[in-house]
Amino acid sequence: MSPNSTGNGALVPFSGDTNDSLSVYTLHHGLSRPISRVAISWSRGNSLRVSLFAEPSGSPDAGDGAKVVEVKLGGGDPEIDDADWRRIAYGSVAPFALLQSRRSSISALSKSPSSYHSDWWEHVLQYSKDITSLFTEPKLALNPIIEDPNEIVQNKEEPTCLKAAWELMEIFYVDKQSQAWQPERLVDWLADYDCLFTSTQETIHGKLVDFQNDLVNIQVIEDDPRYWEVMSSALSVGWLDIVVKMLRLHGSYKLDQLSYRELENGLVEAVAVLISKMPRLRHKSAVGNLGDCFKSKPDFIKAWEKWRSQITKLDCSPFWIQCDNKQTREGLRNLLQVLLGNTESLCTASCHWIELYVSHFLYIRPFTTGIENMYTLAQKCIQLKPPTGTHRLTGLMIGILAENTEVVLAEISREFGPWMVAHAVELLTAGSEQAEILLHDERYNLGGISMMELHRLAYAQVLSSHALTWQIAPIYLTSCMKQGMGLLENLLYRQSVQHNNLLLKNIEICRLYGLDHISSNIMKVAGVYHWKHGHKGAGVYWLQQSQDTNCLNRIAQQLFDSVGKSISDESFKQWEGVIELLGSESKPAGGLEFLHKYRDFKKSLQMVYSGKSADAARQAAGSLVLLMKNPSTPQRFWLTLLYDSLKLLNWKDSPLLSVSETHLLLNKLQELSLARQRPQFTEPSLPHQALSSIRLALATNLGRAILDE
Amino acid sequence: MAVTAISETSQIHRFPQYKYIHAVRWLPVLSAFNRFAVLASSDSDSDVSSIEIHSFKPNPISFDLHSSWASPSPISSLKASQFLQKSVIAASTSSGSLHFLFADSSDGMLESEVSVPENELHSVGKSCIDLIDGGVECVTVGDDGKVNLVTVGDSNLNYRRLFDSDGLVSYTAVKWASPVEFATGGYGFGLQWWDQRKPGDPVSQFKGNWDTKLTSGIVHSIDIHPSRKHTCLAGGSLGTVLAWDLRWQQQPIILSGAGAGNGAGNTAVQSISESEVWEIQYDRCIKSNTSSTRILPAMICSEDGILGVIEQGEEPIELLAEPCAINSFDIDRHNPLDVICSLEWESVAILTRQ
Repeated sequence: MSPNSTGNGALVPFSGDTNDSLSVYTLHHGLSRPISRVAISWSRGNSLRVSLFAEPSGSPDAGDGAKVVEVKLGGGDPEIDDADWRRIAYGSVAPFALLQSRRSSISALSKSPSSYHSDWWEHVLQYSKDITSLFTEPKLALNPIIEDPNEIVQNKEEPTCLKAAWELMEIFYVDKQSQAWQPERLVDWLADYDCLFTSTQETIHGKLVDFQNDLVNIQVIEDDPRYWEVMSSALSVGWLDIVVKMLRLHGSYKLDQLSYRELENGLVEAVAVLISKMPRLRHKSAVGNLGDCFKSKPDFIKAWEKWRSQITKLDCSPFWIQCDNKQTREGLRNLLQVLLGNTESLCTASCHWIELYVSHFLYIRPFTTGIENMYTLAQKCIQLKPPTGTHRLTGLMIGILAENTEVVLAEISREFGPWMVAHAVELLTAGSEQAEILLHDERYNLGGISMMELHRLAYAQVLSSHALTWQIAPIYLTSCMKQGMGLLENLLYRQSVQHNNLLLKNIEICRLYGLDHISSNIMKVAGVYHWKHGHKGAGVYWLQQSQDTNCLNRIAQQLFDSVGKSISDESFKQWEGVIELLGSESKPAGGLEFLHKYRDFKKSLQMVYSGKSADAARQAAGSLVLLMKNPSTPQRFWLTLLYDSLKLLNWKDSPLLSVSETHLLLNKLQELSLARQRPQFTEPSLPHQALSSIRLALATNLGRAILDE
Repeated sequence: MAVTAISETSQIHRFPQYKYIHAVRWLPVLSAFNRFAVLASSDSDSDVSSIEIHSFKPNPISFDLHSSWASPSPISSLKASQFLQKSVIAASTSSGSLHFLFADSSDGMLESEVSVPENELHSVGKSCIDLIDGGVECVTVGDDGKVNLVTVGDSNLNYRRLFDSDGLVSYTAVKWASPVEFATGGYGFGLQWWDQRKPGDPVSQFKGNWDTKLTSGIVHSIDIHPSRKHTCLAGGSLGTVLAWDLRWQQQPIILSGAGAGNGAGNTAVQSISESEVWEIQYDRCIKSNTSSTRILPAMICSEDGILGVIEQGEEPIELLAEPCAINSFDIDRHNPLDVICSLEWESVAILTRQ
């Protein structure tokens, strides 16, 4: 951090000789005065929010006093931006969840704790394919209608290192079916991803692209030494179709030259035919690729020997002497040397050690199997072609070939981040029990969790830190046996309750994972939030949902402060909505249940006033007694209730209240007059004579009731 | 950028948007060749919320940004309608402002905007709006319990408060029934019927205590069919879809939900979803043999990723089952076979039913 002041403006001194672990971010805060205080907190994702406070100044026009800036840590992935990472994160949820459920159903069936199963790899392969499909950005396939004859390298979708790394792991760890032709899969892999290595050093793909760009300027193609050089390079890594296509660009194919370059053309065509007939030990060839494919090794060996003898025969043929074009003669014979596996030719033809490595499989050791041999061969190739720079993929490749799971984990974690590790762990453990033990064993130094769980937790933390991805974190957290649930509870508590949609999504997650106690707490928080913000109805709803009678009792007191004062009061109508909201009486409503009873009482009282039904009056009197008995009825309504009921107390036909009921009401009246002495008592707005008329009515009723009984 | 999947019943195109889509609507247009959709989006990287018009072309499939308008805060409710020669888009924001956008009906370009500023209609919090069919009259309701009517005139914008519950009742959904009547929904599966000819309180309230076993929930969306104005269809929490017939107020018809099958008079029905039903609309593709006594088929979308059609007394039909929530959808009024929906995972899907 270096403010733009003169000299060393750094707030925290640090020495100039930085090592790798220290990165410096320059902040542009634009404050004119020196900074006196700095506050740092986490912002969204991996951003830091830095608040800078300037020294206080006496004059009002000294500029801003403080500034808040956000610093995004880490450069992010150079290939994949944040939005695309989110797309991959969303897409990988379903394959991950499916694999986890398969694992648990298999281990439930086999009753063994280990998930290792004879055909488990097939499920992992399906998972791997599903994940791979996410790496290609969904684009429209636009096939040009007219094929460009001069187009050697097709402009396919831009491959990413992420996809290349994933496929490399799939080849070595998961795909048991094609283990026999692993070297050939490596050839295909390099054909797809050779261009990625261009970023650090020269590659065959890079040479091909350069040559293609110059193609329009070349008059006689076979006279250009680069033509032959590029072809032998492409041949060395087995791009047969490209080589054959380039050979057919040879000048001797031109109609006007065919007559006098017949022999030369024959040689070119013979080499082209030999190349296109190269035997390959593989399941099936990719679309458009040349070569004869053999599934079984004996058939392949037979065909290989026959093909080699054909090359040798052509190499010793007398026609070469008759061919008078020196460039063609030497170029073609060099191609034959590549096909015959001449180490020197292969070494000159290739650029990167991986290219040389692949050419060894193709032409020198086509029968190689077993990873130990592959590793020694790789070391030999690195010696022959020492890498000029380190590439994201080579470290991973060496780790895989050296069968070192820890190195592989470290490489993918450093180069591709937490998403990659959390998901690639499934590939690493697919076939190797050793890797499985390494990753699944609980470790003391990790706080009793396994490495697999650690990486999943780390990924879940990344998801949790973003507003759009936190909802998928629970899927990863619940797959973590030890610490997952605790972190999930934390995550759910942390979400905002402000917006209903978000709140309901949160509660839905609680429901899915059976976390009723958490959803109840969340609803309680939401209830209090809405209550405080004046959304009384919403507050009551959420508190009722969380069954928090305590809180409901408390807010009931505040709510009743504004309830209508008398039956004639129109304002009681607005309470209808809240009463509807409270629903049936069986639901917990805390102190609010008074509203229900009050409404029932008012209804029957209204009936009494409208008509003179004795039954209605008796019902109303019953409601009144119930209300007065109920402890949830606020004291401040007692007098109002009694005053409203004067008509009932003075009922003409017969007394509606029994002796004991009248005593109860009198007692309440007594209690009220005692309460009056307290300072916080609020006087209801009733006429002056209200109290005396109630007293009189009660006394009369008592007298009549005694007489009746 | 499209991913296309073909199932037996429909063709589905998915379009990743790389931003959160709050709501989506088809834009009613006059042209037969152009199809436009309105998206309310929020870009989480830049914190910019906007209303975007995308043009949809079926062959070759494309869904491209056509024009957009930056909103001051995220959109909480979005509606589109046709008025004279213009397409009208109404949107309320989470900060309480209301915006009307006018787009050319033939080329889908945004032309003008008028708005009601924050705190005039609602305090901060979610508000919900409905735009009258073929007009520029908009009713807005909110968590704060206010009900407002906003009308766009030739040169001015008028708004007045129809009701204020003072926060005692919060409203979460609203739908016009006729030029003078509308229905609102809220907490506790509450439904209210309003008539502007009788100002003040709602003229009718749905009695919520018809079934004590039903756990309470929130109404998220209401629809009223123009041919059956007496029936109010509501969707909400716990997969609940219910029809409230104003003529038979005591007995709602439960079409789906956790409480379905328990209520008196309701035959056992299968629930299409168990979580929040975010939006409900009558399915505009009506089969001819639909009985007049039955509730018309309706389409819903839900938090557990279901887009489906439910019909009284029939098995529900699932059109889409996504691993993430479907937050909103809209049926094209001119081509009712086409449905657009917005998915939680920053994408939009367009369904063409066979």
